[in-house]
Amino acid sequence: MSANFEPNVVAFLCNWCSYAGADLAGTSRVNYPSNIQIIRVMCSGRVNPLYVMNALQQGADGVLVSGCHPGDCHYMEGNFYARRRLGMLKDLMEFVGVDPKRFHMSWVSASEGHKWKEVVEKTVEDAKEAGPFEGFRRRQIDW
Amino acid sequence: MKMDLEQLRKTAAEVAAREEVKYLVGWKQGTYGYRVAPAFVEDAAGAAELIFSPLCTANLATYLTLAEQLPVPRGGEPDDRKVALMVKGCDSRAVTQLLVEKGIERDEVVVIGCPCPGVVDAALLAEKYPETEEPAEMKWDGENFLLIRGGEETKIARNEILAEKCRLCRYPNPVVSDIMLGEEVETWDLAEDEGVQELENRDVDGRAEYWAEQFDKCVRCYSCRNVCPLCYCQDCILDRLNPTWVNRSVNFSENTAFNIARAFHLAGRCIECGECERVCPANIPLGKLNRKLAREVRDKYDFEPGVDPDAEPFQASFKPDDPEDFIL
Repeated sequence: MSANFEPNVVAFLCNWCSYAGADLAGTSRVNYPSNIQIIRVMCSGRVNPLYVMNALQQGADGVLVSGCHPGDCHYMEGNFYARRRLGMLKDLMEFVGVDPKRFHMSWVSASEGHKWKEVVEKTVEDAKEAGPFEGFRRRQIDW
Repeated sequence: MKMDLEQLRKTAAEVAAREEVKYLVGWKQGTYGYRVAPAFVEDAAGAAELIFSPLCTANLATYLTLAEQLPVPRGGEPDDRKVALMVKGCDSRAVTQLLVEKGIERDEVVVIGCPCPGVVDAALLAEKYPETEEPAEMKWDGENFLLIRGGEETKIARNEILAEKCRLCRYPNPVVSDIMLGEEVETWDLAEDEGVQELENRDVDGRAEYWAEQFDKCVRCYSCRNVCPLCYCQDCILDRLNPTWVNRSVNFSENTAFNIARAFHLAGRCIECGECERVCPANIPLGKLNRKLAREVRDKYDFEPGVDPDAEPFQASFKPDDPEDFIL
């Protein structure tokens, strides 16, 4: 791994808290790494574990899922389901040999622009440490 | 354990003859060697060929959801007769889990419970005692298995050929049943799950290497899905083309995605009957994935699938105090 490797990190943010949090970080002129590609979803409970798999297959080096704090979900309980499912997914991916540094989950509320910066910094740093993801990435075959 | 074949056939004949029962699913002698085939008994006469032996590995609960649902002809009445099903301990957990998920209703089935002292791993058996054309019989005999073939009886130590799932089995007696055949068996000392433990002791790269080798063998026949009593989605993501969740091409990337997706869909649902691993033509140790997830669910979330018919499905419920130590 080269020292100046810049990872691709895909982030799934819930519309109501984390996306607004990231927005706040932007309007507050908070500097955070630009390696992150944000995909807005309506709720962290919407994040199908296959999204995470697909992101890794298609070239992401790390994945972040972020939602409202427990109890603050716009849909009352979506993030509780997300916590259970993605917690299981993290265990499973670790068991089949995907570095746990590649997948993170966080709670970021709409007012936590600075927490968002910390979360992104941590995620990107971890993805950098883990290096380019070669595991089960989809490979282009040159015929 | 004394499973009386006479009693089994008599009970089966009585159940199959009932007006409210469409057919009874049980096991019968296969055509050769150690094979055992599923038997669909529609009347009392058919019950004479039923058996229950250490070779009856197959989980028949899968036929509950596998049965073709034909549209009701115009002016006709839907056939709402019950299906009778013979279950071992593990199979009964599949039935319970189906009840939890509302895959079936309780009044759609008649469950005939067969307490099971453990079945054999036919592959292991064939390795030590090569299969012949002639159909073989098997019996439980205290701490041993009795192989009867060509008028000759061979005693085989239980631990030698016991299936892996049975070494780790905690529910040898059916957890749900309408009719119980024979006496309940005593639970036995559980073996350590060495396969999973050995992998857990490796580092991430070691595990990646192990699974890369395993998933590379996958031919994507989907036998594991088809045989699984709990894989019964009518619209399976593996068959979907739009959106294509998992590409159909057989390569390492897609194989891994498929296997992770399959295992994940069974998280908190798998009842560890070991059918997926048994039918896998590439001998991928799918049981390890399932058992690992089952253990995580048990230890971290204090949930066990297929035990309580009134439970909430694991992935469609939550507790406010679920572990969240992995969250940043």
